[in-house]
Amino acid sequence: MTATTVGPADGSGSRDTAASPGRPSAVTAKDLARSAAVRRRKSARLKIWVGSVGVALVVLPVALANLLPIPGPDEQSLSLRRLPPLTGGHLFGTDQLGRDLLSRVLHGGQVSLTVGVLAIIVSGVIGLIAGAAAGFFGGWVDTVVSRLLEAQLSLPLLLMLLLVVALFGPSIPVITFVIAFAQWPEVARLTRSLVLVEREKPYVAAARVLGLHRVTTLLRHVLPNVVKQASLVILLLLAQAVLLESALSYLGAGPQRPFATWGRIIADGQDYITTSWWLVTLPGLVIVLLVVGVNLLGDGLRDRARRRKGPQTEGKVSRA
Amino acid sequence: MVRYVAQRVGQSILAIFLTVSTVFVLVRLAPGDPAAAYASPLATTAELDRIRAQFGLDKPLIQQYGIFVQDLFHGNLGTSFSFQASALDVVLSRMPYTIMLAVSAILFAAVVAIPAGVWMARHADTARELGANVAMIAGQSMPEFWSGIMLLTVFAVLVPVLPASGFTSWAGLVLPTVTVGILQIALISRLVRREMGAGFAAPYLTIARSRGIPERGLTWRYAMGNSAVPVVTALGTRFAAMLNGVVVVEVVFAWPGVGSLVVRALETRDYPLIQATVLVTAVLTVLVQLLIDLTYPLLDPRVRLGKAVAS
Amino acid sequence: MTAEFDEDDRPLLEVEDLQIELMTEAGIVRAVDGVSFVIRHGETVTIIGESGSGKSTTAMGILRLLPPELAVLSGTARFQGVDVIADPRAVRKVRGRTVSLIPQDPMTALSPVHTIGQQLREAVRLRHRGLSRAETVSRSVDLLARMHIPDPASQLGKYPHQLSGGMLQRVLIAIALAGSPVLLVADEPTSALDVTVQAGILGLLLEVQENTGIGILMITHDIGVARLVSDRIHVMKDGRFVESGEAEQIVNAPRDPYTRKLLTAVPRLGPWDEDGESPDAPIALGEPR
Repeated sequence: MTATTVGPADGSGSRDTAASPGRPSAVTAKDLARSAAVRRRKSARLKIWVGSVGVALVVLPVALANLLPIPGPDEQSLSLRRLPPLTGGHLFGTDQLGRDLLSRVLHGGQVSLTVGVLAIIVSGVIGLIAGAAAGFFGGWVDTVVSRLLEAQLSLPLLLMLLLVVALFGPSIPVITFVIAFAQWPEVARLTRSLVLVEREKPYVAAARVLGLHRVTTLLRHVLPNVVKQASLVILLLLAQAVLLESALSYLGAGPQRPFATWGRIIADGQDYITTSWWLVTLPGLVIVLLVVGVNLLGDGLRDRARRRKGPQTEGKVSRA
Repeated sequence: MVRYVAQRVGQSILAIFLTVSTVFVLVRLAPGDPAAAYASPLATTAELDRIRAQFGLDKPLIQQYGIFVQDLFHGNLGTSFSFQASALDVVLSRMPYTIMLAVSAILFAAVVAIPAGVWMARHADTARELGANVAMIAGQSMPEFWSGIMLLTVFAVLVPVLPASGFTSWAGLVLPTVTVGILQIALISRLVRREMGAGFAAPYLTIARSRGIPERGLTWRYAMGNSAVPVVTALGTRFAAMLNGVVVVEVVFAWPGVGSLVVRALETRDYPLIQATVLVTAVLTVLVQLLIDLTYPLLDPRVRLGKAVAS
Repeated sequence: MTAEFDEDDRPLLEVEDLQIELMTEAGIVRAVDGVSFVIRHGETVTIIGESGSGKSTTAMGILRLLPPELAVLSGTARFQGVDVIADPRAVRKVRGRTVSLIPQDPMTALSPVHTIGQQLREAVRLRHRGLSRAETVSRSVDLLARMHIPDPASQLGKYPHQLSGGMLQRVLIAIALAGSPVLLVADEPTSALDVTVQAGILGLLLEVQENTGIGILMITHDIGVARLVSDRIHVMKDGRFVESGEAEQIVNAPRDPYTRKLLTAVPRLGPWDEDGESPDAPIALGEPR
């Protein structure tokens, strides 16, 4: 087969005529730009870029909140209540107690993001271990894990989470655990299916022949091969974790200390929506920007991973 | 077929049992004394003891569990102390509103999301599909309480064409439905797009195309026929999830359903009421999922007739 | 079966200088590089080659089954004069009426959620509009009976997963013939089947050809199949025909070194008279000629 390499992604540029003598290629630049291969590559790259920018726009200021020249999140100034954005050096305006909204959003974001990141770490670790064990060992381990996964589907999850928070108090560890509990099945299910495939590969049999312990084989050889794919899903879970945390805190079941988180800020501002639109709109837009960013980034990375894995054509014409 | 149904019913019973037990354990595990929570803050030790005896809290845990399960079978889920009425009755009186909102939202979502997903699958890897996809991702990324407040502000405050809260007329259903629907449309349409994409890539579709069957038939009969099970599953799962997932939207629109009830119960620490809500919702969720699973045999002959290959 | 075509007859399929380029992640791949062949009434023309040689891409390409965002075609492919390369829409008039496809893997070639009867009747109705339901059914039963499917009427209510691979392939041939085409494209029709069943399917195809004079484009990697059914053979390698000629000439006196390699690569293949020896070879079937 005479293969001509297309230049990277640009779709129009470096198209050689095929190396074989005789006919020139009939592929026009327009065909190429329309081709699924080029379009998929372009859209994955676009998603990754836009997603990264969105995430960075939220995460960087949140991380650097303490260094930015903004008032403290709890500095009240009753004479400067509900100032609209861009007045008096308040980029996002002020709230009903005269506190700087941007500062509140950024400091609250530190709590929100901490909870989100901790939650996906916990759910990721639990999900990876449970899923890998179920897939690798099979038997009763698999039965137990699979039944748990099924059972959780039937739980009225949000109500249970609210109940737990009500019983144990809205502290950061409780809320982290609650979100992780909601999310581990997704990681476990994926890991299990990945390990089921991985288990059948020759290197696992080779490890067995070499007399390696099964747990060693799983931890040292199988897990590293699935962690990369699983971590993409864990990244996408960050988006859900942030949304779930904001919903809990909107309902009054979010962390209160050290700072009110995004959901709480919006709930507080709700009463003033007719006169002070920014109190709800701006914190909400920050959440949307972050979550859209994470979702786009995860989606783009997944598209790219899928493309790399099956460089041919998604089975559309796997004959030939 | 009979075995399939029996197996599914068995699983459902197991799931309800598991939920019941989880709730029981959680409430017992929680710090603080349930009797103290039930009694007035000024209750004496003697009063607390009486309450403990009344609820069987002085008995061993395993016996308490037995009583708890026994009460469940008699439909006795305790007395809500903020309503001073049977917790089960209070929950059941609110349930119709939550179901109404969930049904209306899932219908709205299905009507929009299925054609949208099919359209996206048919235009796979085009700029238009990318645009639609990004829009769906955005819909999936909005907190429901926020989009609810935004819609409410625009359509009930700035341009007052729709009622802002409560359920006084059918128009009151519009904004909550749309709010819940946005997220559901995003989730369902992307799933439909994935399933239809797989359907379009299936060998039998190419073979059917080679026979001269028009594209419309290929899309709706072949690709859709084969995507029916995952799409119906998704609709069912989303619907079941909404039975407790609309909590947030109910609060935004002061919708008189179970969600706003439970938030109030949380504020007043009305544990019997929360417990009853969780249990009733769990039973409903499980029933919905059972119903969905029982439609599989209708949608896929391989389930109906067993996988065994004849001859 | 040899050389009974009429010189004045318009060829069923003329392919001239066909080129198919695939736009893959790895770049542009020229999968089919300037191939030409002709199929006339009652003829079987075989394209033989290893996997990846471009033989199936050729078959899929002339039926325009390669998605346009993947494949760019040039050259000509005329079905009874209708060029489907110049006008991709023209292929709609051709599919099912002039040419039908017999797929590689019968197990995945039918929709699993529709009955055999639904899919067969649909194919019948596409060509013969205005038939009553009873007529459609009786035609369907008739088609299945011609494929030697036992108890055809009761098969109509069955789903694909209830039939064996060999039976499904017979059903697929029936569906392919429902529109009374003049040409069949058989894309490795036996490679996914048990060896014992392969012979029956090939025998059936030859029987159909004998009765209707249908032309067949056979795609295969199996020299045994090619030798059994072909009038002419094109040997394909890397998208090109390295050798073309009458079946006997290719098999008995190959000129190209690649053809010779292909012939020796099949261990069960021997001189013509040794046929019946290997019990599992498809050619063990009684010669239908």
